[in-house]
Amino acid sequence: MMDVLIRVLIYGAVVSGIWALAASGFSLIFGIARILNFAHGTFFVLSAYIAIVLIKNLGVNLFVSYVIAVLLVGLLGIVIYKLMMSPIKEHEVMIIIVTLAFALLVEQILLIIFGEHGIAVPSFVRGVVEIAGVPVTMKRVMAFIAAIVVIILLEYFINRTRTGKMISAASQDFEAAMIVGLDVEKLFVITMFISAALAGFGGLLYAQVFAANPIFAVKSLIFAFAIVILGGLGSVRGSIIASFIVGYILTATITTLGARWGEFMVLITIIGILIVRPTGLFGVEE
Amino acid sequence: MKEMKLNFKAKDAKDPRLAVAVIILILAGIAPLFIPEAFIYLIGLTFLFIILAISWDVIVGYTGQVNLGHTVFVGIGAYTTALLQVPSRFEGSFLSFMAGIPTPPIAVSILLGGIIAAFVGFVIGVITLRLKGYYFALVTAVLPLVFIQFLYVWSDILGGEEGFSIGLERALAPDPVGRYYIALFLLVISAIILHVILRSSIGYKFRAVRDDEILAESVGIDIVKYKVLSFVISSFFAGLAGAAIIHYRITIGPDVFDIPLMLLIILAAVIGGLGTLYGPIIGGFLIFLAKNWWLKGIAAQVSQVLPLNDEAILYIILIVVAIFAPHGLWSYLKKFAERKKVKTA
Repeated sequence: MMDVLIRVLIYGAVVSGIWALAASGFSLIFGIARILNFAHGTFFVLSAYIAIVLIKNLGVNLFVSYVIAVLLVGLLGIVIYKLMMSPIKEHEVMIIIVTLAFALLVEQILLIIFGEHGIAVPSFVRGVVEIAGVPVTMKRVMAFIAAIVVIILLEYFINRTRTGKMISAASQDFEAAMIVGLDVEKLFVITMFISAALAGFGGLLYAQVFAANPIFAVKSLIFAFAIVILGGLGSVRGSIIASFIVGYILTATITTLGARWGEFMVLITIIGILIVRPTGLFGVEE
Repeated sequence: MKEMKLNFKAKDAKDPRLAVAVIILILAGIAPLFIPEAFIYLIGLTFLFIILAISWDVIVGYTGQVNLGHTVFVGIGAYTTALLQVPSRFEGSFLSFMAGIPTPPIAVSILLGGIIAAFVGFVIGVITLRLKGYYFALVTAVLPLVFIQFLYVWSDILGGEEGFSIGLERALAPDPVGRYYIALFLLVISAIILHVILRSSIGYKFRAVRDDEILAESVGIDIVKYKVLSFVISSFFAGLAGAAIIHYRITIGPDVFDIPLMLLIILAAVIGGLGTLYGPIIGGFLIFLAKNWWLKGIAAQVSQVLPLNDEAILYIILIVVAIFAPHGLWSYLKKFAERKKVKTA
């Protein structure tokens, strides 16, 4: 019993840290531009596949591949913003539809090229350590540490740097930000890059612990949505905290009931939050 | 319902669109005389698909709430009727007492499919529609992914990935032509009912909610009530059509729940133009036939050069149409023609 608890505690922390990266990116772009980016999971999956191709097919160094994958996905975020979001900004319905269609398109293309079986991304580390009697692979330990470091950097960026402050100012009051002369369009582009890169990095960490699978382009949205609803739409800090709550609920469900109940529990969580506290833990007022 | 007024105005008779509708209806009525049976089967299925597209348009196009889980209600209707008709599926499960319930007539069980879908829509609507539209989009997007899990968790009842057959004796009609006419009848009835609702004061309130929620509320419209009502109506017809589809093709499987069907519905409505009712009818007709008739052939050609299949091609079409003609192809062509007229004049 005790070792199950410890395993949930440790495994949950790893999964939560990874989800926190993906979900905070989703919140970031929603917070500033009020865009629900259904293609967010695409960044998550795509960076893993880019890294796989670079490492396995082109023989690029592991570290360089990771960096290129994250940067490319960040740039893809900008391209998607410029091509698919900016032209139809006044049609909220259409942005959702277009980004969802894009996610499904990428999923299909990945399925055709790589097949439906998961592929793991090679990791920097190997081996197993024992934490409180539970064996944990070094990959998981590294994923957790890397996720926490990036989350701290993100917090620092938003709260301490000039660009970060401009982004959070524009999130709080879009019109006032324009009045005081912030180039909001430029901020959108920067935010989109960061948002996609965060998801891409999360995807890399996920794929080296578990495996990259094309269906995650859409499936990861379930978890991301549960997290942002619990944390409050648009709140980055809320997303990070909610990631850990949802991550632990998921890990506990999967360890005790089996993987099939994971999605179901997440839906129950979402519905429960919406009934009890619709604006989430740290929801921004509209 | 007391607010609904049936007022067929005199000008309706002169409306050219009514004449077009009558001509199309006559063509659809005599089609089985000169079209081979295999195509008649496909066209009948298309009619049922069109019901899905127009019912989706009610909540999205007319009321402005992005529903990405329409197929959940299709699936609920479909599995409701399938289990009512084949109660032996319950045998040996924790719901084995359900196996003893008498089988209702097919028409009743199709109707029940719609009613149960509407009820689920009501529950989900009450929870999510009092919040900002974003929440509704997020929750409905998650629904199909969760509901499809039920099929695997209770696969001995629901048939899992393969689904199950309800048996030819439970088809809408024994022959394809009979089924075709029943499908046509269901489409016409659904379209007329939705047309009447959307033309009534209820329909105007839906549009008021869509265009400006704050303004709608300030003139005394209970926006949550009308959003939920719109969602319930939309879900009812989705469930009804989902149930009818099962009795049309006799098999049931996860494809009635799945995201590709959702995207097909979206594509049909977006190409035709959201919030027009007749747009999704035309869009649904073109898209469903295209998908099942000649798209596979084109995809086979394309896939030799690019890593694309028929689904991927549909997604590309959807992205392109949504970006360049967000109001639908018709209004795009109309605008294009008008611009040309202005230039030449």
